[in-house]
Parts: sequence; structure tokens; C-alpha cells
Amino acid sequence: MTVTGQPSTAAPPASARDWQGLQARWMGTAVKRKEDPRLLMGQGRFLDDIRLPGMLHAAFVRSPHAHARIRRIDTAAARALPGVVGIVTGLEARQRSGSLRPLIPVPSEPPNYCLAADKVRYVGDPVAIVAAVDRATAEDAAALVEVEYEELPAVIDVEQAVEPDAPLVFEEAGSNVLWHDVFTYGDVDGAFAQADVVVSERFAIHRYASTPIECFGVIADWDPGQALLTVYTNDQRPGLTIGVVAEALGLSEAQVRLICPDIGGGFGNKRRPAYIVAVSLLAMATGRPVKYLEDRRENLTALMHACNGVMYIDAAVRRDGTVLALKIRDYADEGTNLISPAQHSLLKLGNMVNTYRIGAVRYEPYSVLTNKCPSGANRGIGKPFMCFAIERLMDRIAERLGLDPAELRFRNFIPPDQFPYETPTGAYYDSGNFPETLRRALALLDYEGLRREQARARAEGRYLGIGLSVAVEPASSNMAAYVLVTGKKTSTGVGETAKVRVEPDGTVRVAFGDVCSGQGYETAAAQLVADVLGVDLHAVHVNPWFDSFTTPWMATSGNYANKFATTDVGAILGAAQKVRDKILAIAAHLLEAPPEDLELVDGRVQVRGVPDRGKTLREIAQVAYRNLLALPPGMEPGLEATHFYANPLAKLPDEAHRVRGQLIFTNAAHICLVEVDPETAQVRVLRYGVVHDCGREINPLIVEGQVHGATAHGIGAALFEEFVYDDRGQLLTTTFMDYLKPTTCEVPPIETGHLETPSPFTPLGTKGVGEGGAIPAPACVANAVEDALRPLGIRIDRLPITPDRLFHLLRAARAGQVGLSPSSG
Amino acid sequence: MVQQREITVTVNGQRYTAAAPVRQSLVDFLRETCGLTGTHVGCEHGVCGACTVLLDGASVRSCLMLAVQADGAEILTVEGLARDGELHPLQQAFWEHHALQCGYCTPGFLLTALELLRENPTPTEAEIREALSGNLCICTGYVNIVRAVQAAAGALRVPRPHA
Repeated sequence: MTVTGQPSTAAPPASARDWQGLQARWMGTAVKRKEDPRLLMGQGRFLDDIRLPGMLHAAFVRSPHAHARIRRIDTAAARALPGVVGIVTGLEARQRSGSLRPLIPVPSEPPNYCLAADKVRYVGDPVAIVAAVDRATAEDAAALVEVEYEELPAVIDVEQAVEPDAPLVFEEAGSNVLWHDVFTYGDVDGAFAQADVVVSERFAIHRYASTPIECFGVIADWDPGQALLTVYTNDQRPGLTIGVVAEALGLSEAQVRLICPDIGGGFGNKRRPAYIVAVSLLAMATGRPVKYLEDRRENLTALMHACNGVMYIDAAVRRDGTVLALKIRDYADEGTNLISPAQHSLLKLGNMVNTYRIGAVRYEPYSVLTNKCPSGANRGIGKPFMCFAIERLMDRIAERLGLDPAELRFRNFIPPDQFPYETPTGAYYDSGNFPETLRRALALLDYEGLRREQARARAEGRYLGIGLSVAVEPASSNMAAYVLVTGKKTSTGVGETAKVRVEPDGTVRVAFGDVCSGQGYETAAAQLVADVLGVDLHAVHVNPWFDSFTTPWMATSGNYANKFATTDVGAILGAAQKVRDKILAIAAHLLEAPPEDLELVDGRVQVRGVPDRGKTLREIAQVAYRNLLALPPGMEPGLEATHFYANPLAKLPDEAHRVRGQLIFTNAAHICLVEVDPETAQVRVLRYGVVHDCGREINPLIVEGQVHGATAHGIGAALFEEFVYDDRGQLLTTTFMDYLKPTTCEVPPIETGHLETPSPFTPLGTKGVGEGGAIPAPACVANAVEDALRPLGIRIDRLPITPDRLFHLLRAARAGQVGLSPSSG
Repeated sequence: MVQQREITVTVNGQRYTAAAPVRQSLVDFLRETCGLTGTHVGCEHGVCGACTVLLDGASVRSCLMLAVQADGAEILTVEGLARDGELHPLQQAFWEHHALQCGYCTPGFLLTALELLRENPTPTEAEIREALSGNLCICTGYVNIVRAVQAAAGALRVPRPHA
């Protein structure tokens, strides 16, 4: 293991230049991003920048009710509006398209059509779609569609939704509980019998979402001559979407061409195959291309929220602080999510014991339907809540035993000599040094110094608090985990595919099935390929757009689960290495030298030690594409290769339900200092520090940016962002005026430090980065706020810690009633 | 039929005269009529700041302003920052400091920052944070954006070919 602790912006040391046998000139270097100049000059090409001839614009008619039966839809007035070209209602959609195939088919599998036909199930549920000559006319027309509803009782609270008399969101499912199971890993009851102390808590997490500044959208263009549907979309998972859309529309996958332009942020929730199907139906009906792009209200109301939920967690603890076992009952509010139900629960199995040597776990998950916006992927998926619960729990245990929270964590860490380490739930931690990560975080902000500052402040009547949280940050999702829910072994593992081509002039082109939404793939992929082929970074061109007709792809292709550094890298390197081998074979033939005597340097192949004897990449490419008789006898012409890579750690769950839901583990320690103003009930984050270990960093500049952004996301979730529903299911936070994102004035400067424990299981020792900070940050902030208010005995059991919520806690504390139980919201 | 009115605006030094529906927002006019798609729509209710442009030198939310209200105005959009392919010092600083990830909010940040640095060439970090607090970025956590504006402020104080 190497623990270098290099600052991220410095050049790596000479020893780090050797990356798995490759002499790295670009890898590991904080090079400026290749994609930036065009983005900085306003020359990015995002979905809304695409204009097709004759293109129409679409608007949805959406439900104003959380739960209602659709009695009648009258589109006559809308059709009569000048400029309106076509309308598709829910009933018509049902005649022309099938149910959308889910990612995780739960056993009851209720049908899921692109538009609601019989019932609406959340505020914002689309019931019809209108196409017109411009967006404003389409919205006018949508307002003229008359829908008669019979309102039904709505179920909003997740714990009420599991009650037998709760209104059913999908009658077809027979229950609001889409999935429930009990997994026992290890001797849980024995551990609780031995425990000196049992600490029991109830924590709640709220609904929030990352809200990329570019909303989700689609342009559908139907070519009846070729029977070809071209879809432009900023969907993050094109590999999954192509099949879903083709199947719903009764087309073959060869009849669907899916193109992703530049994507203005993703974070997991930029996806809605149903919208693609609905817009495609309009394009087919009108014979013209149709564009739909959400407005922000639609995005906040109806696209995708992270599951809110409630978790009951009991810990069996020894007097010395050793945590022996956990019992967890977990209610995940799926809203109307039929695409990926249970995903939030399954992914928690990957960080359920976090960084700790906890030997036994019982997990009882409930995935529950309510009359809310569909839940789904959002930066970290379930892991932020799991981390919030366990890291809040650790603070409560420390308090109960009179231990420093850092000391309690040190006593429970998995020791660094135990890797690879399998947790009771089957998560396979590839590498790490958790104590060192925390030690560096404590040093980064001078933990002892902060404690002294806190003591001084308390003496002055100020409420300063220090928060710590540690986290594993798993990457690359193994679809075999879904077998625990579906029982079907039809989608397993995770892979990606890439193509590398040397053009006839010696420049290099790279394409792969992941779609970038801000992570700098054009640069990072170019760094890899430039080093494998021994060319300048600027000679490598990485396709920024995905096009299913030219980009290699597979079902798992797409931008999710921190997959780039843990899976995509294998595909890109594999393709580059195949091309390299071919370059060397051709050069060996031309130079009459054995390939092992050749080296690739600065765009040339030369005989090692005899640099004058060589051929440029251009000369070799000219042979490969043009001067075919000069090729080695029998060699296939051309200089390109495609490589498919599957992450080697994926496997099926075992008989004991142990599962590797995610495969490669970054880890981090967060530390922050907050101040609570007892009069205004406002929390200010004064300092925030992150030390993380994502193994080898391909581009430290990009890594640091990901850490900043993810951490800010977690701070936003902890203090500001919340989708609030009233008890009839009306969403009260439908604009950025009331769904509050943190700004420059709320996100503090984030101080960072790094360790580098390479993964032994990825080709270059890289690990995931991206979700990272979003996982431990909510816990870190909550721990700090509770620490600040410890003199008042205030308990933080739910998020976000808004001034309003804190004001009520402060008032109750002053009145002597502390420890308010959280509502599940 | 929606009423239209002919307007003339000068965008990045170029005059555009065209009919605008009276209910059309300025950002839609810039994007659809002028073909300048560098200005992005993020919320259409004036909070996110992605659509910020300078109108007669002052920042405006082009999603909250009607195109007809801009008749006769001089507008600077992100496309007008670089000259002859050379990045403006703010753009250069954003590049060097990795102050953008997806790049969607970036045009709004650049123009907001430009207005700040014109009014206050030597801002403190707190002043920069205050000035940028009307723009949302989801990717960066703002850390590198603030650094970039600090760096650009320094670079802009040095005499350069185009001001």
C-alpha cells in the first residue's frame, strides 16, 4: 500500500509515473480540461440548442391532484387553437405503446405506461401531451385540455402507506409495499444478548434532488421511409433507455438511434424513458420532429426525487465502544417509482456497516409506494441516508459512553491490514486505510484546536459545533444485486465498451458508451489513450456526444454509480492496448525489428536505443488504411479496436444473500465547524474539510472538483433542500424560490486532503469519485449541529436542519421538552 | 394570434432587427432569433442566473425580461467575451482553475463576474461570494469559481490588449 498524501494540484512523484507498467506522461497530471474552451465560449451544444427543420414543441398536460380517477379528457378546444398540430392522450398512448420495462422488476410489477390513462398518482403526473409550432402555443393548448377528475384519498406518509387500510397507489400491485424482506447476516441475536448497551434511534431523511441546471428533455424524429426513430436526449443511461423505448414502441433496437449531446449536469436523476416514448408518439403522429424540454417547475415536481424514508436502527455495543451488531428496519418512500424500486434499499447493503468492523446485521427493508413524484437515482442513492443513520448513531453511542466521537470511530475501524475485507452483507472492500483517512481529516482542520475554540465560544454563550463523519463511497453497480428483489438472473454485472481509432493522418479518436455530464471525460479518456499510444494529449479526440449508431454501447452503458474510474477505464485501456499492439506489429514489419524492441514516443514508433530508426503514427496509419500491400501478410487492414470490459469483482448474491451491489470502494472523512445562532436559528458552516482516498487519480484537478461539488450537494441536503408535500399531496416547493439550493454564501471554502491507496482490482488502481462527498456530508453537518446544541440537549434526527425546524427545537428545549421525535415528512 | 413588435438590439456589437412576439422573453429572442445559444435557460423564474446577460452594462436575467423591453439596448452575451479566438481573462481563469464542470451555468457566472470586476476591480473573497450568490452551480460547490474570479481580478489589473 502507498499512502502518499500528495496535494492534488502538485505533479505526482517520479515513482507514481509508472502506472501498471505504462510510463505516464498524462495520467496523474492535473491537465486543464480539453472541453472547457468551447463551454466557456458558449459553444457547447446542449439539447435545447438543437433545431431540426419543421420541429414542433411539446407540452404536457399534468395532474393537479395527488390521486384521482380520470373521468373524461376533452381535447377539442386545444385542437382548435391555431398552431396546434397534434395531441396524444393517455388512452391513445396505451393503444400505441406498451408498458415500460423497469430496471428492477419487482414481483408484482404493475404496468407502467408513458401517460396516465385511468388514474393519476401524483401531482404532475402527465395525462396528455400536445405538440404545437412553438412552446408557448403548446403550453396554451395544454391549458385548454379539459380533464375531469374524481379525487381519491391520497397516501403521503411512508409509514401510513404500509398500513392495511391505506389507499392503494397501484391497485394492480395489491399493496403499496413493492418489496419487503428480512436479511440476517451473522449472529445478530447473540450479539445483542452479549451487548453491554443497546442504542436505539429513529432517523428520517427527506426528499431532495440534485436539480442539474439543465432540465431533462428529448427531441424525437420519426423517419417513416427508413422506419427509424432518432432520439436526441440528455438521458444519462442511453444503454438502458434504447431497449426500453424500442420495446414500448414496438420497434427493434436497430430502429432506434439515440443521440446524447452535451449534458448540463446529471447526478442520477436526468432520465425519464416515459417522456421519450410520449414525445416519440407525437412525432410519429404528426410526421414532424418534436422537442420537449422540462421547465423547472416540471423538473422539481415530476422528474425524480431521492427517496425520503424512515430508519429504525438498534446497535449492540460493548462498554469499550465496540459495535457488535445492527438491527435496521428501513422504509423507503418510492413515490410512484416503478423503474427502479428497491434500489435505494439494495444499495444501502454496500455501506451498511460503513468503515466499521461490525460483525452482524439484520436488515428489514420496505420499498413503499405513495402519491408522490417518482423516486429514483440521485447522487449516492440510499447511501447518504445509510451514512446519515450510522454516523448519527456513532455520535449517539459516543455520547452515551462518554467517548470522543473520533475515538469511538478509531476503536471500530476495519484495520488497514484486513483488506480486501468482506462485510457481513457481502460488500467487498477492495482497499483503504480508514484510520489514516480520519487522522488526516482531524489534522486538516486541527481537531484539538477546534475543540478549544468551541470551549472558548461556549464560555461566551456562542454555540459552535464540530461534526465528523466517515464513509465508504462505493462505485460501479453490479446489476446482480437486483436478483435479491426480482429472483431473475437476467441482468448481472457491470461493463462498458470503448472504441479507439487512429485516423489515416495519425490523430486519434475515442468513443465510449458513457455520457459525460460534467466529469471531464474528454480529458480523462484522452489522458489514458495518449499514454498508451505515446502521443500528445492534443492528438487525442474524445467524442463528446453519444450516438448509438457510431458509439459502442451495451445495456450498462451510461453515466452513473461512479463508473468511469472503476469500469470505463478498463474498456478504454483495453481498446487502446489493442490498437497499440497493432501499431507495433505493423511497425515491426516495416522496420524489420521485433515488436519488443520498439517503443511509442511522441507520436512515433522507434527502435529502442536507435531513435532515428522509426515511423510516425501517420506513416503507420497510411499503411493500415491505404497502402495495404505493405501490411504484414494476412493482417486485417485498419487501425481501430473496440473493447468490452466487465468489472471482474461482480458476482451473483450467495445463498446467505450476501451481495456485492457495488464493487470498488473509495473512502473519506469529513470534518466541519458550524455555528448556530440561537436567536435566528440559523446554521452557518464556518469551516469544512474533506480527506478522501480514491486510489490513483487520473486527473487530480477533476477529482478535486468532484469532491467539492458532491460535498456542496450534501451540505445543501443537510441544511436547505427539501421537497415538502402537504397532507393532500400538493408539492409546496415547486420553484427555486422555495426549493432552496445552496449558493456561494452558504457553501464554505471546502478544504481538501488526499490519500492514495490504489485499488488492486482496477487496471490502474483508480476508484470512483463523484458521489463521494454527497454521502458523508449530511451526517457531518447534522453531527456538528447537535454538537453545537448539546448544552441544550437538542437532538437532530431528521433533515434538513432549516431555521424553522431548528427554531421549534430551540423553543421546545427552552421549555424543557427536548428530544422531539421526528415526523417522517 | 400573438401580437408581435419589431425590435432592434445590438448583441455583441452586431445589430439585429426582427419581429418579437410581445410575450417572448429576451433569452428566447437571443437563442431563437439571434441564434446565440450560449445563453442558457435554467429556471425561467429568475433564481438560477444561468441566463444572465449584460444589458447596457448591467446584469439582467434574460428569462425575466421581455424581448420588447430590450428594444434599443446593447447586450453582451457569453459569445461576446472572447476576441479573435482568444479567451477573455475571466474565461481563461475559469479554465485554469477548473471553475466549470458541465458548463451549463458558466455563461451566467462569467457575465455576473464581469459586472463585478468592472465595478470593483479588487474584490475581497466575501465580496465575490456576495456578488455571485444570485447564480446557482450544482457541479462545482463554487470553490473553484470563487478562486477563478479572484485570479481574473488579478489578471485584469495587468494591462492587456483588449479591455
